[in-house]
Amino acid sequence: MKINKLGFLLLILSMIIPQRHSVAADKFTISGIIKNKENGEALIGAIISTKGVKPIGAVSNAYGFYSLTLLEGTYIVQAQFLGYKTQMDTILVDRNQKMNIELTPEPIKVREVVITGERTNINVSSTEMSASKLQIHDLQSIPVLLGEKDILKTIQLLPGIKSAGEGNTGFYARGGRTDQNLIVLDEAPVYNSSHALGFLSVFNSDAIKDVTVITGGIPAEYGGRLSSVLDIKTDDGNMKEFGMKGGIGLISSRLTVQGPIVKDEGSFIVSMRRTYADVFLKLSSDTTINKTSIYFYDLNMKANYALGEKDRVFLSGYFGRDNFNYPNVFGFNWGNATATARWNHIYGDKFFANTSFIYSNYEYTNTLGTGTSQFTINSGIQDINGKMDFEYFMNSENTLLFGLNSIYHTFIPGTLTSASSSPSNAQSVEHKYALENAAYLSHEIEVGTGLKINYGLRLAAFTQLGPGTAYTYDVNGDVIDSTVHSSGKNIKTFTSLEPRISANISVDEESSIKVSFTRTAQFLHLLSNSTTTNPSDLWVPSSNNVKPQYADQIALGYFRNFEENEFETSVELYYKNMQNIIDYKNGADLQLNPNVESLLSYGKGWSYGVEFLVKKRFGQFTGWVGYTWSKTEEQFDKINNGNPFPARQDRTHDISIVAMYDYDSQWKFSATWVYYTGNAVTFPSGNYFIDGRLVPYYTERNGYRMPAYHRLDLSATYSFSEKSNLNFSIYNAYDRWNPYSIAFRQNINDPTKTEAVQTTIFPIIPSLTYNFNF
Amino acid sequence: MKTIILNIWRNKEFFFIPLLVFAVSCQKIVSIDLNAAAPHIVIEGNLTDQLDTASVVISKTGTYFVSSVNVPPVSHALVTITDDLGNSDTLKEIRSGNYQSATLKGVTGRRYTLKVVSESEVYSAISYMPKKVTIDSLYVKPVHERDGDIGYDIYVLFKDPQESGNYYRIRPRVNSLPPDSIQGARTFLYNDKLANGNEITERISIRIRSGERRTVNIGDTITVDLLSVDQATYEFYKTLQAIRSSDRSPTSLSPANPNTNLSNGSLGYFAAYSVDSKKIILQ
Repeated sequence: MKINKLGFLLLILSMIIPQRHSVAADKFTISGIIKNKENGEALIGAIISTKGVKPIGAVSNAYGFYSLTLLEGTYIVQAQFLGYKTQMDTILVDRNQKMNIELTPEPIKVREVVITGERTNINVSSTEMSASKLQIHDLQSIPVLLGEKDILKTIQLLPGIKSAGEGNTGFYARGGRTDQNLIVLDEAPVYNSSHALGFLSVFNSDAIKDVTVITGGIPAEYGGRLSSVLDIKTDDGNMKEFGMKGGIGLISSRLTVQGPIVKDEGSFIVSMRRTYADVFLKLSSDTTINKTSIYFYDLNMKANYALGEKDRVFLSGYFGRDNFNYPNVFGFNWGNATATARWNHIYGDKFFANTSFIYSNYEYTNTLGTGTSQFTINSGIQDINGKMDFEYFMNSENTLLFGLNSIYHTFIPGTLTSASSSPSNAQSVEHKYALENAAYLSHEIEVGTGLKINYGLRLAAFTQLGPGTAYTYDVNGDVIDSTVHSSGKNIKTFTSLEPRISANISVDEESSIKVSFTRTAQFLHLLSNSTTTNPSDLWVPSSNNVKPQYADQIALGYFRNFEENEFETSVELYYKNMQNIIDYKNGADLQLNPNVESLLSYGKGWSYGVEFLVKKRFGQFTGWVGYTWSKTEEQFDKINNGNPFPARQDRTHDISIVAMYDYDSQWKFSATWVYYTGNAVTFPSGNYFIDGRLVPYYTERNGYRMPAYHRLDLSATYSFSEKSNLNFSIYNAYDRWNPYSIAFRQNINDPTKTEAVQTTIFPIIPSLTYNFNF
Repeated sequence: MKTIILNIWRNKEFFFIPLLVFAVSCQKIVSIDLNAAAPHIVIEGNLTDQLDTASVVISKTGTYFVSSVNVPPVSHALVTITDDLGNSDTLKEIRSGNYQSATLKGVTGRRYTLKVVSESEVYSAISYMPKKVTIDSLYVKPVHERDGDIGYDIYVLFKDPQESGNYYRIRPRVNSLPPDSIQGARTFLYNDKLANGNEITERISIRIRSGERRTVNIGDTITVDLLSVDQATYEFYKTLQAIRSSDRSPTSLSPANPNTNLSNGSLGYFAAYSVDSKKIILQ
């Protein structure tokens, strides 16, 4: 069945592809790579277009490749990218030709009001909506907790994306849960994107080239998660010369080394980061504390090499680990490892292909006990992933994207190992296996002037594979039957057909209306005993007992630019419906439990809202204001008497203001202010005695609200030269005591009285970071 | 012989060490308006294998933030406990809302049914009384807490039976005070999931507080009760622990009322359990 559908899709593809041979005789294609002139980094999303009354343009892809098909003739062609000098060339188009373009980065000049560079209306003219591309400049300027630049915190300042909690890297995209975000690093899915129990992300901003986050109108090439895509691409490394950059911060230091392997043909980059809070612990006189180790590190590595004009290979890897050991009590360490091997090939002038082999691994180890009684619990998830993506730039009106993806997942729910002298019994919950296949096709077409449509289809198939035991449970969650399946046996298959459509109706040069419909499916589910990201969170696959989650989203937006695209504004409305979202039994024991699947229950959720964004893109003063009004509810048969209740991620109001000011070549200032409605929480509505002690009595789920959250962060950067700067930032500048939790406890002096205690984890926190670049 | 110390995993405070390292957290008392829920029935039923009293306490929920006075007892209920051989006892209301039977003594291996009829509603629960597991020995180690308090770790050694699925509740008592009267003491729960059939050493911690909040003294007799409970009782206490402020982590999920074995929406539990006790003097 599945094979037939795939075969059918390939058949369609093979009918479309030959069209490239039927190009009209008087049309020719210029193609090539757009790069940064200084370091040879390929530029993603640079625009190349003809000048004239009716410009024709193309955008460079993830590897800097563009293909522009024009009628025979002479054109002035310009290449633009924000922060770079626009380059113009007069070219004679009389044959297919290669034209690599190198753009020069433009230093931000003192008091120069207008910065040239990309002044296009791409946000208005593209079919892309509910999407943001973060500029690295923004990332570097925005103040953050403890001075640690963090993309996962910065994206939380965009409308539609909300922080999962104080200082937390987890995020909610349009009412989705934190596990509904597809986070990919150089195409490798990252299963746990946080360090230090959620306070910092695993992404070292020194190694990042491009960040795209999409919360609606998700293109067909992405799948597997319901609510959003966060696509992170790392730097390729300097193609021209060796360089070193880094920083020394309050809690971590960073160092990046990069350079050419062969000038202009290949390069490498190695980027490292490590925290050193544990160094201070060593100073403690307490013998337990000074032997405690607590640190994390990240290592990003990448190399690429061109094998001639048409081929390029990339090897990249990420390795990060958290270590947390409390002597003689427990050790906890966890981390991700990913490796990606990619091969780009350009067929002719219009056809770009990338093939990737990806390995991802997330694993945690928990060591308990001491000496001979020590034992460890190990859990994780491992992927072997193959991917082929094709981009066919048929002509300036038509672009075709298609591809295949196949992931073999291995789930390690939990294994306990112990020495023979240890009292705990070695045991293991059976590994689980699954194959996740997908094929997609999308076609972007310009229908005359004023209408652009991107329609696509993604076909996903998820198969639970043997070896393994498939259990059947009764309504009470007791095992009533079990079947042992042999290796490679197809236990259960789910397929999902996911239409992805977005359209742009142009009103005029500066404004447009966009609509989109997205269907997504999710076959992997994260079970967590906590509201924060914990290393011990458990990924479970869909199976004979676990249903996949589905979501449908429609979005409508109005986009309008002002002042020659200096100001971008947009309003978007969305409605999202989610099926089979998961909740589990109160007190569910997730660790080393072979019957976790019996503890789950399924419900539905929905979210709707309106998002406003005003952004100033150029000048000494840049920044944005975002405001979101939204409502997110969930409904489960067994919770809240079956009535809908506000989801934890429900936030009525959410405001972010980001301002960046380049005062002169030495001083840069920035500030952010955020405000959001407090989380929906469950508080008691009564109490009673059990065993002589007061116990809270809960009636409605999430029937209360935490106080509103707001915070101002400030940052000032002083550059000594182009080579080094010092950043001073203040997190929570007016020292607002935002509630992290509100707990109820018996008054210590009068146990019959109960009081509410609010805990704030981050009061005002200043930090200092030194950055260098040689 | 194998021994094990297992309760560390459940000490949530260890998870907050990173928070302490990264930040200076602060706390304040806040006032929160809470709804007053309609009073709801609460049943606490206990039956042991000892000839102490089988007891069922019935009350209604009160308003939060108001002192205990307003948790009203429920009188005039018909309370019966029946075993799986058909023996039935009716408990007498000896104090308002407090129903007891002086003659009822549970037998391990039997299944007991509690039935309560009150205000024309019927509530029932079934609990299995597991085989008794005895304490082999106790020992005490003093612990100096970081805040200057002195604590005592009491180690309880017992042998878990060969068959899996044993659940325990460990309950310390001081002198002749009733159980659960030690302020701040956690609910100590244990199951044999990781160490079925092994010799177990389970640690329970009691703090000596200085000044008025002193809860135990040197020379006090500590009695440790090892309660062999069924799974439903274990789950009740485990989910109770999750919402008790002294045990609760601020990042835990949406709190919910403890899982109960009682029918018809009643809060509370009915637990049949066997008890083994040992004493030790703090020195």
